Amino acid sequence: MSNHKALNMFGRSGNPALKADTFSQSARGTSSSGGIQSMASGTMTLQGTVNKTGILLALVVLSATYTWNLFFDSGDAGAVMPLAIGGAIVGFIFALITIFKKQWAGTTAPIYALAEGLFLGAISAIFEAQYPGIVIQAVGLTLGTLASLLFLYKTGIVKPTENFRLMVTSATMGIGLLYLVSMLMNMFGSGGVGFIHSNGLFGIGFSLFVVAIAALNLVLDFDFIEQGSEMGAPKYMEWFGAFSLMVTLIWLYLEMLRLLAKLRSR
Amino acid sequence: MDANTLIFGSMAVISLAIFFYLGRFKASSKQTDRDDRIDWTKRSFSLWKIFFYSLVLVGGIVLVLEFI
Repeated sequence: MSNHKALNMFGRSGNPALKADTFSQSARGTSSSGGIQSMASGTMTLQGTVNKTGILLALVVLSATYTWNLFFDSGDAGAVMPLAIGGAIVGFIFALITIFKKQWAGTTAPIYALAEGLFLGAISAIFEAQYPGIVIQAVGLTLGTLASLLFLYKTGIVKPTENFRLMVTSATMGIGLLYLVSMLMNMFGSGGVGFIHSNGLFGIGFSLFVVAIAALNLVLDFDFIEQGSEMGAPKYMEWFGAFSLMVTLIWLYLEMLRLLAKLRSR
Repeated sequence: MDANTLIFGSMAVISLAIFFYLGRFKASSKQTDRDDRIDWTKRSFSLWKIFFYSLVLVGGIVLVLEFI
């Protein structure tokens, strides 16, 4: 199969899937006896994906620092809201572009990270002003979850299967639907789905459930990256894998923030 | 520096170090040598099935709410 045809097939995939034929001509993910993947040029590697995740994380922190400082210097949420909303919208647009044009991930994923950073910095500052110390807790718990699940995945304690994928994807879509309905209800003035934002037992239980689903999405990301590097996916998939991980991490962080805020407000 | 920052800050730094160290290694054979691994080269379930399950989940949550 020609490389062009393979890329077209890959591009048509509706989910972050890899087409086996795409990589048949590429080198299989080579690993030394120690298990560390070599940096084969032209194909996706674990090391490359981890490095790119680090770059995206640094970009998120960089732009988040800007809106964070802007908020605490001005002491006015109104000063950062345009940047926060703009960042969220630009981030969403570039996330869609990255999903549908994976080959562009090397350019679009860093822009996504910078835009989301503006949003996260502003939201985090607003939460921090209301509940001092909450942001470092959310950051610690999010990264703690990332490291724990990576360990559980690498050691084979957590084994993602097709049914696992179905369950996590369906739950993620269900949560998305619920948020969408709540947002639409809010827009039409009926107050939204109350329990999503409530600090009652059901609201906290719901937040815990969402945090668990977001965390399980990390396992799917790890498996996708692992298989991509095993199959010798194209180099740009390192950026796409890092982008997938970043989307899940940002979601997990926001849900952690929301959960902690609910607990603190009781 | 207060205890909160120290505890959760250390947790963040240690977790990042674990991620960057462990992320470079291939998963164990217990993880990779399985017959029931996810096949990322194809979609095993239709979007309709996923959508149906997600509706069941939302419906379930709404039902639970009704009974509480």
